[in-house]
Amino acid sequence: MKAFGYVNPATEKDAIEALRAGGIVRPIGGGQDLLARMKDYLDQPDTLVNVKSVLDAKVTALPGGGLRIGAAMKLQDLSEHAQVLKLYPAVADAAARVGSPQIRHQGTVGGNLNQRPRCWYFRQEEFVCFKKGGNRCFAADGENQYHSIFGNDGPSKIVHPSSLAVPFVAYGATFRVVGPNGEREIPAAEYFTQPTMQTVRKENVLGEDELLTHVTLPAPGAVKSGHYEVRFKESRDWPMAFATVVLTMSGSTIGSARVVLGAVAPTPWRSPDAEQALAGKPLNEATATAAAEAAVKSARALSGNAYKIQITKTAVKRAILQAAGIKAV
Amino acid sequence: MANQQMPTAPPPQPVGENAKKYAWPVPPAKTELLSTSVRRLDGPAKAAGTAKYTFDIARPGMLYARTVRSPHAHAKVVAIDTSAAQSAPGVKAVVIWKDPGGEVMYQGDVVLALAADTEDHARDAARLVKVTYETLPHFSREEKSMASGATKVFAAGNTKEGQTQETGNLETGFKAAAHVVEATYATQVITHVCLESHGAVCEWSGDKVTAWVSTQGVHATRQQLAAALKIPETNVRVICEYMGGGFGSKVAADAPIVLAARLAKDAGRPVKLMLDRKEEHLDSGNRPSAFSQIKAGVAADGKLTAFDAKTWGTGGAGQGANFPLPYIYQFPNRRRSHVDVFINAGNQRPMRAPGHPQGCFATEVLMDELADLVKMDPLEFRLKNLPPQAPDAMWPEYYRIGAKAFGWEKRHPTGDTTPGPIKRGMGLSACQWGGGGRAGNAHVDIMSDGSVVVKCGTQDLGTGTRTLLPIIAGETLGLPVSAIKGEIGDTNLPFAGVSGGSTATAGIAPAIRIAAGKARDALFARVAPVLGVEPSALAVGGSKVFVKATPSKSLTWKAACKLLGAEPISVDGTWEPGLSSVNSSGVQFAEVEVDIETGITKVLRVLALQDCGLVVDKLTAESQVYGGVISSINFALFEDRLLDHNTGQMVNPNMEHYLLASMSDIPKVDVMLMNQPERGIIGIGEPPTVPTASAIANAVRNATGATVRSLPLHPHRVLAALAQAGKGGSRA
Repeated sequence: MKAFGYVNPATEKDAIEALRAGGIVRPIGGGQDLLARMKDYLDQPDTLVNVKSVLDAKVTALPGGGLRIGAAMKLQDLSEHAQVLKLYPAVADAAARVGSPQIRHQGTVGGNLNQRPRCWYFRQEEFVCFKKGGNRCFAADGENQYHSIFGNDGPSKIVHPSSLAVPFVAYGATFRVVGPNGEREIPAAEYFTQPTMQTVRKENVLGEDELLTHVTLPAPGAVKSGHYEVRFKESRDWPMAFATVVLTMSGSTIGSARVVLGAVAPTPWRSPDAEQALAGKPLNEATATAAAEAAVKSARALSGNAYKIQITKTAVKRAILQAAGIKAV
Repeated sequence: MANQQMPTAPPPQPVGENAKKYAWPVPPAKTELLSTSVRRLDGPAKAAGTAKYTFDIARPGMLYARTVRSPHAHAKVVAIDTSAAQSAPGVKAVVIWKDPGGEVMYQGDVVLALAADTEDHARDAARLVKVTYETLPHFSREEKSMASGATKVFAAGNTKEGQTQETGNLETGFKAAAHVVEATYATQVITHVCLESHGAVCEWSGDKVTAWVSTQGVHATRQQLAAALKIPETNVRVICEYMGGGFGSKVAADAPIVLAARLAKDAGRPVKLMLDRKEEHLDSGNRPSAFSQIKAGVAADGKLTAFDAKTWGTGGAGQGANFPLPYIYQFPNRRRSHVDVFINAGNQRPMRAPGHPQGCFATEVLMDELADLVKMDPLEFRLKNLPPQAPDAMWPEYYRIGAKAFGWEKRHPTGDTTPGPIKRGMGLSACQWGGGGRAGNAHVDIMSDGSVVVKCGTQDLGTGTRTLLPIIAGETLGLPVSAIKGEIGDTNLPFAGVSGGSTATAGIAPAIRIAAGKARDALFARVAPVLGVEPSALAVGGSKVFVKATPSKSLTWKAACKLLGAEPISVDGTWEPGLSSVNSSGVQFAEVEVDIETGITKVLRVLALQDCGLVVDKLTAESQVYGGVISSINFALFEDRLLDHNTGQMVNPNMEHYLLASMSDIPKVDVMLMNQPERGIIGIGEPPTVPTASAIANAVRNATGATVRSLPLHPHRVLAALAQAGKGGSRA
């Protein structure tokens, strides 16, 4: 790993200053992704800015009934937080399944959202892909069994690595971002970016001199939610595909729905087709099955990942069944 | 190294004189230690971190080395520029392994190594080396390399044809068949994934070198290292006190070990060269792939009639990939031809039961397909086609015992009809292995203060070998294990062979038994006059020497040894035929749950029945079986060396994308050790890792009605098989 300087800012403002100090500067929270990238020479910062002490690590109740989650909160703490478990169970569930106990005790909410892709080409120095300034995506015609089945017509075939991003988008969260020009609130769904030739080197809109400080979850209202991850290995692995569904109920009928898919696209992937299939329908197994079919209608497999369509369909169906309180398996 | 190791009984050798004299106690004789449960003596040291592995060795002034390896699947080394590296901070030596003009045959092929004062300096300097390559055509897939008209990438040809083996009359065999299966079975390349990586620490003193090596054979490593360094073997000392797994991949002094010695020589300082995980995956051995295109026939009564197979596989850029086939079951008429295929990938090394898991998988899955055609239970079908039962071929009995213990009668016919996406199923499979003893030596000293040391130049690769020394000597001398010191892992100790092929215990245990027996007799000779009897009237037990006829006439061990005065007992023992055997057999059962909407298989439980002759230590023998089963679960479900088909580079040379079971993926494993004390000692390292994967594949088939003929049982393969069988996936 390249030698680096280390800065311990006292305030958010100092941290932003430090990020602008020149050279390659990276904020470090739990370091679960960054340190691995540095060891593998994927990222060679000149300076690390410790943001653990300047970022909020708590959950705060909002007057309107929502919650505000600090970006430095540990995933383990998030998964065990009583209000999160009660109001946004899919968030707690997603946090509880990340990686391993060690990673959950060290990794933070901000780190989970901003981690770089786990694509096996991206993760090795010798594959100089679009994301590293190269001129190809090795997965496009390579080994792509874990790559995207949606949104894969752009230059990069990665899937977004964040487990939390999916339920955050489903619950309509916004992200507070601070930078040299002050702060802004960005809807979670707009934070993550589909790769284009112009944006392919990043996965979101966060500037190099900005920090994601909070996630704001609006009051959930009369919703039922479900979260289902298809995992080959029980732990220390990434889900093959997963889904969060948030159903706004109108009596026993689904008024409107948000269906967001994970590990299937370069961003958390909303499925309008599934959402339409749910709206106005009774919440039962037939509806779940129909919505799951609808969810994968527009999926387009690469050479080696057609099986993920079936797996995604299952994740959607089971997330809906979970929301309905129907035993899926 | 050859990897076709069908166990064939060697011609019986006459039982040695000492082997007769010091025969093992067999029932009804009672044993104090032998075949009991003795905890690993080094368990506390390992748990506390005080056990020093090669990775832990630190010598004064020691340098750290890094290799520079080919990033390309195949290339010519045009030029090597080490100038920037050599002037980098801390760099003390550079040794070129592959000269310009030479070819690197796979990603990870070594080009050079350098040593620096810190690990970081070595790593930084290695990145400053500029190697100019001219890339050459490469193959990363067997079918491409072996295709007719394929570019010749390997000097001796892309393939190597084996001899066709033929027995009986195929035409007659297929004529007698009521049903025929024609299918292709495949197993993948997996790597050894030793927890402790390969490597060494080398330190010179004049023209002598001491090498701490993570090795399965200190003596074999000495021989090879001396040859590579062109110095007398007597100038090389190899030490391996503790090691973190080898599984067959650490039996040779490979490039990193030789480079560590050469760098240390050039720098005039000790050098440590331990590989990282990526190097482990790329260039530290693997299990070859195996493809079997089989046509097999079965008669209406369930008797196998014919077997015709074309097989191929790759052992990398120059090694073979043969495997035993058909496995165990008797096809009276059979033909089999094999082709080794070379691709630009790291070379295979022996891996726990070389060849057997591959041959077992193809045969056992085929057996279940055939059983269904004649509408027989897989167990009944196997009983009909096994070789006759014998002490080294106990499958019929083990299958019956195991079936009862496992609850095989609850198995449903192929295809679980329970509603819902989760389907359950059971499968079984058999294994065999040769094992047996190789020349081994041991030395026993009994001191006048009563202390005892057993010395043997074997090594403990994690199997528990260290614990066996005091068990055997203690049993023989009537002492507890705590009274005996065992010394292993050093070429200064009496020669013993490589810990490989399940031969270590069967090689050293007889030597230790004989040495300890001789030492006991020498002690009897000194004690007999004092007790007023003939030496032959004496016995040991309970830390006493006593008169067999009147046990009250005795001396404590300490008092007896005091008689030795200034002349301790110091005797040698050598392996002789009669205390060990070859060939073992085992069977395993597995129950799984398959989610047919995701293709995910969970192994619920495994039962393993395994013999290894006379059990020395129940705990370490059982531990071998647990480890073998877990390895085989990984082979069945998770492990897969994946090469990018465009660049030939490995996409998963890490512990993230190279999948291995975590604790929560490991099911309940039950072990039934089938003790055969009358057969003497046979190894147990290899056989338990052979059949689990096949039993799991058959359980998946039983659960789903879909046959997956390729490993690993990744969801994409299971879903594809389900789709082909029209069973599954569609419910979502």
